[in-house]
Amino acid sequence: MNIGVIKAYTLKEFKELMRTRMIFTVYALPLTILVLFGYGIRMEVTHSRILIIDNDQSKLSGELVEKFKHSKYFNTTEANISESKALKLIKQAKKDAIIIIPTSFEKRLIKAQKIDIAIFIDGSFPNRAHTIENYIESVIINYLQNYAQRYPTFSTNIIAINPRSLFNQAMRDEDAIVPGLIGLALFVSPAILTALLIVKEKEKGTIFNFYASSINKEDFLIAKLIPPFLLHSVSVLILFLIAVYLFRVPFRGSFALYWFSSELYVLVSLSVGLLVSIVTRSQIVALVLTVIITILPGFLYSGIILPISSMSRESYIEAHMFPVMYYNHIAYDTFLIGQGLSSKKIVLYLIILMGFACVLLNLGWFLLKKELKK
Amino acid sequence: MIKAFLSIVAKELLDFLRSWGLVAVVLYSFTVDVYIAGSGMQIEPKNVSVGYVDYTGGGISQKILFHLHEPEFVAPKRFLSQKQLSEAIFNKEIMVGIVFDQDFEKNYRKHKKATIDVLLDATAASQSFITLSYLQNIVLNFSKLNIPIDIDIHKLFNPNSDERYFMALVELLSVVTMLSILLPAVVFVREKEEGTWDIMLLMPVDPKIVILAKSLSQIIIIMAGVVITVGLVLFSTFNIPMNGSFFAFLLLTFFYAFTSAGIGLFIASVSEGMMQTAQLSMLIMMPLIFLSGAWTPVYAMHPILEKLSLLSPLRYYIEGCESIFFRGTSFIDLWQYFAGVLVLGSVLYWYGFRKIGKLF
Repeated sequence: MNIGVIKAYTLKEFKELMRTRMIFTVYALPLTILVLFGYGIRMEVTHSRILIIDNDQSKLSGELVEKFKHSKYFNTTEANISESKALKLIKQAKKDAIIIIPTSFEKRLIKAQKIDIAIFIDGSFPNRAHTIENYIESVIINYLQNYAQRYPTFSTNIIAINPRSLFNQAMRDEDAIVPGLIGLALFVSPAILTALLIVKEKEKGTIFNFYASSINKEDFLIAKLIPPFLLHSVSVLILFLIAVYLFRVPFRGSFALYWFSSELYVLVSLSVGLLVSIVTRSQIVALVLTVIITILPGFLYSGIILPISSMSRESYIEAHMFPVMYYNHIAYDTFLIGQGLSSKKIVLYLIILMGFACVLLNLGWFLLKKELKK
Repeated sequence: MIKAFLSIVAKELLDFLRSWGLVAVVLYSFTVDVYIAGSGMQIEPKNVSVGYVDYTGGGISQKILFHLHEPEFVAPKRFLSQKQLSEAIFNKEIMVGIVFDQDFEKNYRKHKKATIDVLLDATAASQSFITLSYLQNIVLNFSKLNIPIDIDIHKLFNPNSDERYFMALVELLSVVTMLSILLPAVVFVREKEEGTWDIMLLMPVDPKIVILAKSLSQIIIIMAGVVITVGLVLFSTFNIPMNGSFFAFLLLTFFYAFTSAGIGLFIASVSEGMMQTAQLSMLIMMPLIFLSGAWTPVYAMHPILEKLSLLSPLRYYIEGCESIFFRGTSFIDLWQYFAGVLVLGSVLYWYGFRKIGKLF
């Protein structure tokens, strides 16, 4: 370690980054991810486009249709068209579901005879179809429960569910998504920043300065890491402020833990990019490789939409190979739960993140050659 | 003219094949990546851990709990007090807690409204939502309505809700998007950075031809990759149904790749070096991939984003592909997707031609 050399080299790296006008894009990326995704990704499926064909046109069936019309989950239209025509609308992706109320709905309901309500749902997006199915069912059952209560002749045993969500009382989508997005943003943007740092020099030939000078491998790596690390330390703070003040996500844990784990995680992401930069020979490969190993895994394995615990086989294993899920567990805890270091799992995950940083940096150090490769 | 065009295409393809690292990465994304995403991702809950506190004698409550079974739920675990249950949820050992209070069974027998308290870990929001609806359905079956209603649900196009279809297809579309933006972008920007682009423009060949040929060469790579994925992964491994016309899918993919290459061209023309290209393409790709309707339906988004997504070619491509693969939409009804992709593509190329298509 030679402090003077590191200092000089760091300064050179920093100036280089500044001169390419990177300062703008460095922060634009995490900001865009958090703000756009925070407003764009929703767990609830609202405004599903459903079409009701009311063949009965009676008072009771009208009440049922009204129920659908008043729900925020549906954009309901009513039409009197044939079933095949309606199915064609689904085929053209103009409607998500069709509900067909049979002709004798009212008569049969009053007489308590069997009623068949046919529902057709577009199953192209399975999860969406599932959600819509549940919403439709509960609207209908709810309607019938109300109906049964009005007419005591139907003796009913009604069980109601009273859901209470811990940590996220209002079941706000923002609370559930934004902490996870921080994990995605702090994975993708540091990695893409460092991915080209070394391979760029290889392509341009300036890497010979490193080969020929007396700087050590470790000093070189440290000098390469410091400027992006400092730049992204600021994003850690920016993302925190946006989450708390723009999205109004509660913050229940300790800020120190958030700060420490985020810095550690940024270091891991930077090392991922740096490792890519060390093993590749051309900028194109480095860029494509980084994009492939960060964007999709960062999103899929972050636990935002797909819970890790319900993954199976290959995906489950791959999820554990990426740092995102460990950091996100800590991020969700610091924002919504606030257990902090009293939870063994968080301590374990912190250690795993440190392990990631150590292994990646050492691997990079090992693979970085200080001579011309044949 | 044609000769110049073809030789540029051939040169770029050769360039690609010589970079074995790039070939390996592209092949990986088109095969293994799609396979992994399709094979193990599930959005529906599985192995959800349930804990309960039962203050009743345990008649009805046990019957309800009996319905929580594999594969969705792990056998419910009993806790003695609500405090213990909450602690277990805090430690993430239990995801859903159910509390039957003392009056539960009494009210139920008396035909009054009986209430179950359900505690959900909402940090796993998607699972909580779906688990809650599972519970609601189980309980609704218990609310013996004397009305024999039969809700007859038909899920069209994917009756078993096989999520592998969806995940694999979405992953493929994402990979196509990423590569068809990145590859052309780097092809152009590399020449720009090395200065050979100016030489290219000085040659007695129409710059438009050069740009189109370079884009086409990258699109050929993408198309080859798509054919490999669809054949090897989608059809052979996951048995994804193909209800529409395969030709329509290929044609739409071709147009889409052209439009994405236009985005790549745009990125290359505004950025000065590889670093900027990297940052910019990330900045453009990520919203495209995740906000084009695959994960959240466009109509459920914030109204501003809903409008903005009209600018995303992937929005048309996703809808179009879903329609071709699952809905089996006829060719004529696909026109809007083709139109959306083509209009956006033309605008991007127009800009690209103007921006880097001439020397001064």
